[in-house]
Formats: sequence, C-alpha cells, structure tokens
Amino acid sequence: MNAPMPNLVAKPERLRLVGQKRKLLAMMHQRLMLVLILFAGAILLVAGRIGWLAAFGDSSSERAGVGAFVPARGDIIDREGEALARTIDAWSIAVQPPKVIGNKLDLARKLAEIMPDRDEGQYYELLSSDRNFIYLSRRASPRLVERVNALGEPGIQLMREPDRLYPQTALAAHVIGYTDVDGNGVAGAERAFDEWLTDPSRRAEPVQLSISSRIQQALKAELAHAMEKYSAIGAAGVIMDIHTGEILAMTSLPQLNPNVAGEGSADARFNRASLGVYELGSTFKPFTVAMAMDEGIVKSFSQMYPCPKKLTIGKRTIGDTHPFGRACSVAEIMQESSNVGTAQIALQLGAKRQEEYLRKMGFLDRLGHELPERGRTLYPRDWSEIATATVGYGHGIAVTPLHLATGYATLLNGGLYRKPTILKVGPGHPAAKGERVFSEDTSYKMRALLRMVVTHGTGRKAEAKGYRVGGKTGTAEKLVNGRYSRQLVVNSFAGVFPMDEPRYVAVVMLDEPKGTKETFGFRTAGWNVAPVVSGTISRIAPMLGVRPDESREPELDSVLPYLYENKD
Amino acid sequence: MIIVPRPVAQLPWRVIFLIIAIGTMGLMTLYSTAGGSLQPWALRQGSIFIALLGVAIAIRYMPVSFIKSMTPLAYLAVLGLLVAVELVGFVGKGAQRWIDLGFMKLQPSEFMKPVLVLMLARFYELLPTGDIRKWRAIWPAAALIGIPAGLTMIQPDLGTSLVLMLGGIAVMFLAGLPAWLFITGGLATAAAIPLAFSFLHEYQQRRILIFLDPESDPLGAGYNLSQSKIAIGSGGVWGKGYLNGSQSHLQYLPEGHTDFIFSAMVEEWGLVGGVLMILGFAGILGWGLRVARRANDRFSQLAAAGLTTNLFFYVTINLMMVMGLAPVVGIPLPLVSFGGSAVMTVLLSIGVLMAIDRKSQTDTRRPGWG
Repeated sequence: MNAPMPNLVAKPERLRLVGQKRKLLAMMHQRLMLVLILFAGAILLVAGRIGWLAAFGDSSSERAGVGAFVPARGDIIDREGEALARTIDAWSIAVQPPKVIGNKLDLARKLAEIMPDRDEGQYYELLSSDRNFIYLSRRASPRLVERVNALGEPGIQLMREPDRLYPQTALAAHVIGYTDVDGNGVAGAERAFDEWLTDPSRRAEPVQLSISSRIQQALKAELAHAMEKYSAIGAAGVIMDIHTGEILAMTSLPQLNPNVAGEGSADARFNRASLGVYELGSTFKPFTVAMAMDEGIVKSFSQMYPCPKKLTIGKRTIGDTHPFGRACSVAEIMQESSNVGTAQIALQLGAKRQEEYLRKMGFLDRLGHELPERGRTLYPRDWSEIATATVGYGHGIAVTPLHLATGYATLLNGGLYRKPTILKVGPGHPAAKGERVFSEDTSYKMRALLRMVVTHGTGRKAEAKGYRVGGKTGTAEKLVNGRYSRQLVVNSFAGVFPMDEPRYVAVVMLDEPKGTKETFGFRTAGWNVAPVVSGTISRIAPMLGVRPDESREPELDSVLPYLYENKD
Repeated sequence: MIIVPRPVAQLPWRVIFLIIAIGTMGLMTLYSTAGGSLQPWALRQGSIFIALLGVAIAIRYMPVSFIKSMTPLAYLAVLGLLVAVELVGFVGKGAQRWIDLGFMKLQPSEFMKPVLVLMLARFYELLPTGDIRKWRAIWPAAALIGIPAGLTMIQPDLGTSLVLMLGGIAVMFLAGLPAWLFITGGLATAAAIPLAFSFLHEYQQRRILIFLDPESDPLGAGYNLSQSKIAIGSGGVWGKGYLNGSQSHLQYLPEGHTDFIFSAMVEEWGLVGGVLMILGFAGILGWGLRVARRANDRFSQLAAAGLTTNLFFYVTINLMMVMGLAPVVGIPLPLVSFGGSAVMTVLLSIGVLMAIDRKSQTDTRRPGWG
C-alpha cells in the first residue's frame, strides 16, 4: 500500500493493526480464489452431467419415440389375422399397510367379504404387516374394483396395469404359450418371440403365426372328443403344410387356459405335440420302405419277403398281430402292418444307412422350429442288428408327434426335409430351404402305398369321403418301469391328403386310450385314432381349399395287384 | 463513428449483454412451454424483466455508502415481512411463502438472500479487525443468519432456507473467520443429517429419498426428476428444435416454466443450448468475483463476493436438481424461471454489484484500505 503516512513515526499499536488488516486482506483474496475454484468445479460438474444425459440419455427416453397406440407388449395373431394374444389395461388392487387410515380389523372383515380367497385373519395379518406394498388381486374385474373402491380406504391402491388377454381362451394354448404376471413370456410363442414382442421399435407389428384358428379349433374338437370317448390320459395333434413346413394347427390335450396359466396342472402345461417324445410304432414303417426303395433294395411293391409267424433276431423274437405264415409282398406288409416283414427290409438296409436317413429327416435331433418346447428324441445308443429291425417298425426310437409330421412331409412333398415353422410363411418369412432325403420317384410311389393302407388296410376308418386320405396307423406299447406294457398303448395316425397331389399332413396321437364296446375292446390305432383323422380332415379340407372329388385317386396300379385279397 | 454518451459507454456492457441474453432465452422458453403463446407467462415475465433491469441500472448510480446505510433498515423490513408471511401468509402448494399484494405475489424469503449478505458484510465491516478470531465475530452473525433461515424453514421452504444459510456462511468464510470453524461445522452437519432428516416434513423426506433412488417411485414423487432427465436426454446434442419439445408441450414435465425450465429449454435447444446458458452464467459469476477482488473496502468486497455466491447457489442447485445431482428443493433458475421475486432478487443483486464496480473504478487512485 502506498497510502501517504501522516506521521513518520508510527505508533506501534497502529502498525500492528495495519499488519493484521494486510493479513486479513491476503486471506480474503485466498479464500476468494478458493470460492472461484469451487464455482468452476461445480459448473464443470453440471456441464459434464448435461453432456452425459445428452449423449447417453435416459433409458426411458426410448419410449418417447413410441406412439401412444403401441401396446406394452405386441399382439400375436393367427395366419388369417385373428387375435390370439393381446394386451389390455387391467385393474389391480393393492394395499399399502402404513397408509391405511381406517380401523384395520373392520377393513379386514370387509375385504374378506368382498374377496373371499383369504379369510379375515389373513387380511388382518397383511394389513398389520410392516411391508409397504402388497397385491391383493391382480386383473380384478371392474365389479370387484368398484366394490373395493366403495370402501373408501386411502391405503388401498387401485391401479391400471397392462395385462395379457387370450381372447380364444384355451385355443392353441400350447402354441401361444403364456406370460408371467410381470408380462415376461414363459412358454410357447410368448417366450420364443419375447424380444420381438417387447422391442419398442418392432412390437407395433404383431407376430403372425402359421396357426389357423379355424383349423386349430377343428383339430382340438375332434381330439378332445376322442380323448373323452376312449378315456385317454392325453392327446396330441399336428397339421402341417408339407411344402412350406408351416404348422397350421398344433394341439396338446389336456389343455390349459393361458389367461389363468397358473391354475393349469403341470400335465396341462406340458406340450405333448412338440415336447413329449413317444415310440410311435408302425407309423415308421413307410419310412423304412422308402429308404429301401431309395437305396434300390425294394424295387417294386410286388417284391416278396418270407413272412414267418415269428422272426428271431439274436435273442429276440418278433411277431405280428395278423401273422402271415407265408411269403408276402411289400404291399401286403404295409396293408397288414407286418413287423416281421418290415424288420427284414430294415435289416437289408442296415444300421448305417438307416441312421443316416433318420438323421437327414431330423429324427435324431431337436427340431429347429421357433418354439422353446422342443423335445429331445431317444434312439438306440449302439445301433445293433436288433435295434435296426425294431427301429424299422418304430420301436426303440422315440420322437415327438411334430417330428412324425415333419417326416411325413419329407416323405410326400417330393423328398425334401424342411424345418417346420410356427410363423406364417410370406414375404417377410420365406419357407426354409429344403434338403433332399428321398428321390422324387420314391416320394411319388409312396402316395399309392399310403393311399392303399386307408382304402384296403388298417387305416380304413381314416377315410374322409372325397378327400383321398392316405396314411399309416401306429400302435406302440408304452414302457412302464422299463417293460413294455400290453395294457398301456400310444396310438397314432399319420395322414396325408389329398393323396393324388399331397398338400397337408395330419398327425394325431392318443396317449393310453382304453377299449370300448364300439371298438370291440380293441385298443389299436385303426379303431380309435383313424376316425379322428377322418373327422378332422372332413372339417378342415374345405377351409384349406381342397375340393372333395371321388373320381380322383392316385395311381393304385402299382400296389393293388399285389394284395392277397385282390387275387380272390 | 457514432458518438456514445459517456455514461452509456461506461456501463458494464459485457455483463448486461449476458443478462439480456439469458433473460431472452428464458422468455423464449416460457413462450414455448405455454404452447407458443405470450400468455400466461412470457409477456408478464418480459415486462417485469425489463422494468427490473432498469432498476438495476439505476442502483448502479447509487453511492455504495447509501446502500450501506440502508442495509440494516432493509434487513429489519424483510424480517418483518417474513414474520408477516407466517401470520397472514397465503397458503399455496402446501407451503406458506407469499404475501399476495394483488398485482403480484411477494416472496420475502427471496429478498432476504441479498439483504442478508449485505447485512453480514456491514457487520464484518464494523467489527474491529482484531476481533475477527473472537467469539463476538461469530454469534451476532449466527443470529443474523439464524433468524431469517429459521423463519423460512418453518414456512416450510427448505431450499431457500439452505441457500440463506449457505450464502451467510460464505460471507463469514470470506470475512476471515478461522478455517477450523468451518471444517468442524461441516463435520458436525454431516453427523447431524440423520437427526435433521427426521425433523423434515414427509414430502421433504420423500424428495431426498427419491433423489437417492429416483426409480423407486417413478410415477409418484420421483416423476418430476424422471421426466426432467428424459427431457434433457431426449434433446440430444442439437435439441428437438424450438417449439418442438414434446416433454414440456405435452405436460409430461411438471413445473416446466418454473423450477424445471432448464430441462424444457435443453429439450428444445439440446446440449449446445444448455452448455451456452451455463457458460453465460459462468460469465456473470466470474464478473461478480472480479468485482469482489477489485473492490477496495471491506463492505464492498464481502458484499460483492457474497452476492455472487448467492447467485452461484441459485444456479448450481437448480441445475443439479433438474439433472438428478441434488434433491428436488424448489429453487428457481435465476433470470430464466417464471416468477417475479426471483428476478427481482437477482437483478437487485446485480445492481448492487454494478454499483460496487463503479465505486472501485472511480476510486482506483484512492484505495480505502489502510
């Protein structure tokens, strides 16, 4: 400071004061700088934060881009555009115990009256618990909500929340699947397409399945009828387009209502059609014949095999339900579903080639469709001679009904294996690329053979007038505690129509059907499953645009002359 | 060459330009949040802003000695108003803060912010230099801060009360009280927070809890904050464009014209707009501190630094609040948020700062220290 000093001789007191003031000034400047640094720091922090928010945004800002009419979870529709699963605004009722104002005992009593699923004591316990939030009811009906609202208790929260509605109730339940209470897909298409259904940029567009509600309905009705009639414990059915691999209908019984999935038993939740694996028996025989034809072993259906009543391979003996006890043609083997005959063809084919074909048909792996329920097949670990023979007629190998449908599609669509799909084939989703398994010639010849089984063989009851059904029955004994049971069987029928130009395959299966008076106590597939196929095809063929025409038939000249009865 | 009259040329144009720029931005945002209309906010705010800018420039010509002598009077008057609020207070939004004068609502706690700083500056000026490390340097100041802060707290207006205390403590710190006092004070406050928390109103407690975990109640009290962050985030770098902010226009953002106006602005002007506004405030704050450094008497130094600190708290607490860095405490963004009281406080403070600046410029030859 260069202030003029009035006295040359300063008093000590004043000097001390000046010193103090200087020190104070210096300190103040120091502290001012500190404040400045603090300011700069805070401003940098704020600027950094705004940059962070602008760069990375808030996770919820994505929602801003979604229009108001886009549901919280996308819709699922069938191939005709019918809604299978939608999201609605539902009510939920919850209580916040700390906020309850009224008398808790009174409130508990009233709640027990309105919602009797808990009693007074339980409600009182909930109300006096120290939890902050308890759901009393989710997806409550408007009437219930109104009654709870009338209680006028501020501690009870009535909220709207998105909820999943399946307007067709149990229809195609196993295909559609269901969600948990928080809206996450747990099974079926809900789980398979969970990402799509929840992705804000995609969910405006519904997931269109290959399922058709009408076909599904027909299949389910026929199956349910048969299941009840024959007191079966379960049933499954698949209808598939053999050229595109689209699954048009897939049913597993017993069914559950996905609207209240939690109430379904574990059995009802189990998808027999795509997850359950079964020994499907004689329905495998046409595969064996086709393999042998492709390899040049069977040259025509007239080829003869010795068909003894019993055939012993290694330590095991094979028998037939209708033993021939004479030489028989391939056509006859199919007609009467002879194990002995088929086993001989399979043995000629050999284990290696048989395994190769089965692998190409997808029978040794999980199927590559979109649903999460994909059953793992069972097949012989060491492909011995006896295994080759039994696999030839469908024993010792367990596959899903969907596998079987895929196999028949391969057999009759010209010989191409195609992954089945649950999504509608169209511009956005082309059909899977086919891989050749059988030659076109083999595939063509199989038409006559399978048609003959329905016209002259074990599958007579599968005939649907005018729709040229072809197919094969299968009755397999169930393994109970490691032994084949004579009482418990799995019956199946794989049908294809119209046989002169095959387009669709229908596989149905009954789990543990019992004999009835009508079937004369028989439990074989020809008696109980074949009529289901007939009924279903009569109902769905018109929807699929197949014209009934009794004048059209595949060329049966290659088969009919070689049947025994025909010679009479 | 245009001849500019000397008094006009001498005005601190840089800072006036910054204030006008920030104020204009605020008016434009008010126009936008009203859905592209001058009513109900932009027009009123604009006229208040222009009138008060005039007042601020008028204050610039007041001698600092006059301001100094008026300070105790002003302090007592505002204190009286604070008591009056308690007595005849207008009840709004669960807190009593206003006196309704008919043409405007007066919020005395707002006025207290600059007046308290000036009062403390005056006190430390009068205090003999040697006494600065003594007890009597502390208790009168503590009382000067405590009474208005307490009255504001019971309104209850936690935000303003905290800013009052922080501003007062800043002046005490600059006045040269021993540093250990602030350190132990800080530690004691940290220790007392849990206790203080239990004395807060339920809605205040909830705000703090929500600040700690905003997603706990995104539809309830955490709504403000979530929506604010969405607004800022959705603006991106360049913003959605003027008049195109969906968060504020569709009423998602609550209080988009008052406390959360910054979010509404950033949604439309983006990161660039936000950073420019922050830089504008930084410019004003830097100028305020320069005024404090240049000032040549104790009152001017302390008053300038204290007023600037006040302004700083205003700006940073609001910005941190809208960005989720601080609890929601209801502090407006000065010069931008709608509301007459806040504009008045800030522009009056700036007027006083300009007056101090003018004095130190005319006194350069005659430093009054020593």
